[in-house]
Amino acid sequence: MIWLIALALLLLAFAGAPFFALIAAVALLGLNASDYDLIIAAAEFFRITDVPVLIAIPLFTIAGYLLGESKAPQRLVRLTDALFGWMPGGLAVVALMSCALFTAFTGATGVTIVALGAVLFPALIQARYPTKFTLGLITTSGSLGLLFAPSLPLIIYAVVAQQLNTTPPVGVDEMFRAGLLPGLMMLVLLAIYSVWSGRGRARARVKFSGREALAAAWDARWEIPLPVVVVGGIYGGWFAPSEAAAVTALYVSITVLAIRREISLSKVPQVCRDAMVLVGAILVILGCALALTNYLIDADIPGQLFEVIREHISSRFVFLLVLIVFLLFFGMLLEGYPAIIILVPIVLPIAMRYGVDPVHFGIMFLAILQLGFFTPPLGMNLFISSYRFNRPVLEVVRACVPFFFIVLFCVLVITFWPWLSLVLVR
Amino acid sequence: MAEANDPEVGAHARGIWYALHRAEDALLTLLVAALVLIAGGQIVLRAGFNSGVDWTEPLLRCLVLWVAMFGAMLAAREDKHLGVDAIPRMLSGLPRIVVRLLAQGFAAVVCGLLAWYSVGLVMLEHESQTIAFAQVPTWVTQLAMPLGFGVMAIRFALRAVGVRRNAASGTTGTAEGA
Repeated sequence: MIWLIALALLLLAFAGAPFFALIAAVALLGLNASDYDLIIAAAEFFRITDVPVLIAIPLFTIAGYLLGESKAPQRLVRLTDALFGWMPGGLAVVALMSCALFTAFTGATGVTIVALGAVLFPALIQARYPTKFTLGLITTSGSLGLLFAPSLPLIIYAVVAQQLNTTPPVGVDEMFRAGLLPGLMMLVLLAIYSVWSGRGRARARVKFSGREALAAAWDARWEIPLPVVVVGGIYGGWFAPSEAAAVTALYVSITVLAIRREISLSKVPQVCRDAMVLVGAILVILGCALALTNYLIDADIPGQLFEVIREHISSRFVFLLVLIVFLLFFGMLLEGYPAIIILVPIVLPIAMRYGVDPVHFGIMFLAILQLGFFTPPLGMNLFISSYRFNRPVLEVVRACVPFFFIVLFCVLVITFWPWLSLVLVR
Repeated sequence: MAEANDPEVGAHARGIWYALHRAEDALLTLLVAALVLIAGGQIVLRAGFNSGVDWTEPLLRCLVLWVAMFGAMLAAREDKHLGVDAIPRMLSGLPRIVVRLLAQGFAAVVCGLLAWYSVGLVMLEHESQTIAFAQVPTWVTQLAMPLGFGVMAIRFALRAVGVRRNAASGTTGTAEGA
């Protein structure tokens, strides 16, 4: 019977049924089988209002969408170009850094590729970078920055992990600090590769100009305080994440709508709608998952799974390798946020029985998700890039190959070297 | 029915859809504006004037629920709920209609159930009369759930039977009723 239901749900999933409905169905069926009054499912969903840090999700999202609709991406590229464009392969490094910063603020939702790609793609082509390299670079950069504060996946992972009452507990602050070094490692390795493949083209680029740097900085005068105050405030411990989100949303609204006036007020409902469709889609999945998580814990599903897995896998090393493959596949299939909400409650308790630290697990999990965003055949960013730059998907896939292996290398380092994630935390 | 083909009635019905959609958009924009202003204002008050209102925190958390439910309603309207859509996109003709009926119909049933149990939750809270913040009772803040899931159930049911012409390709996010 259970297998029949599982099969039916799997078929429905591939037929395109929304994730939240599938999760809710499992929760309702499970609670019903355990003789609960099903009103408890609604009550668990309502616990969305018990998690204060969730306020950060709509606030960061609206700020990100407003920034994406404004001319901030152009100014960001101009500024980083003025500062780093003189280096060999400088423009590629500019692309990596501006994408990482932008993704940290907008979450890896494809906004980066759409908003920054429009500026960076023609600039890179004009600077005589090969199309293939450019395509791979932009597609990869679309999810780079996932590990830097204040990215939403870090927050959502912490929220989901907190529901499981792990020891040691997982805080949003801890996730922010844990992601810093692994994120920098990815950025540096990708930058080294870009500089290396950009050698020889360097002389075609401009020299450093103090005048242009100052002009670009002045041009971006309203945006510069944002990462400094928010990211500095978070890493410095002055702001709680939800406070940082409130400051960001208010500041961005004022600068974009009142001072710069780059988005007309009549366009605001459209931007709100686009942003909140994403927020609604994520939070409804989260709410349904809250109902499911309690059932999973009650029925000790992770414990039973662990017993089964332990019969086949005894070493932590093999477990982690299998986990990477498993998460890469589902990360690609579930497109980011749903993967965190659906998989963490099941996989984290199992990983902890193998002695994996929950904070380290989170960073590893998100690093794999980041890879999943451009893993063929279904990685979401492959399609966004293909659509945005009007190239066949297969060409995008081929272009991403060297970048894929660099990020995969980083994933392996992050997985088997917990120190990198934990040194700033514990 | 004969009236369904009457252009006058059709235009009128479209007008109602249009008005409903604009109302959804307007409410959502108001909710977002309230969220940004209250959350941001609270910080400014606390940092600048060392004061604040002690029920803004629970109010903000309720706003998150309302924003989430309205966002989810719009996601249902624009067919933007997260799911695996690779296979339906590859199909056409009868298989596509059957697959859509199954997936969207299933979502409609689940949303209907969630709306039903949400009504139960609201009624339970109504009896216990707890206060969420200021003078607002908890059951009022919960109304977003039966409303949201109810509207979503209707949206999914309509899409299941293919009422919207651009149901499967509704990624443009424009007002279909206009």
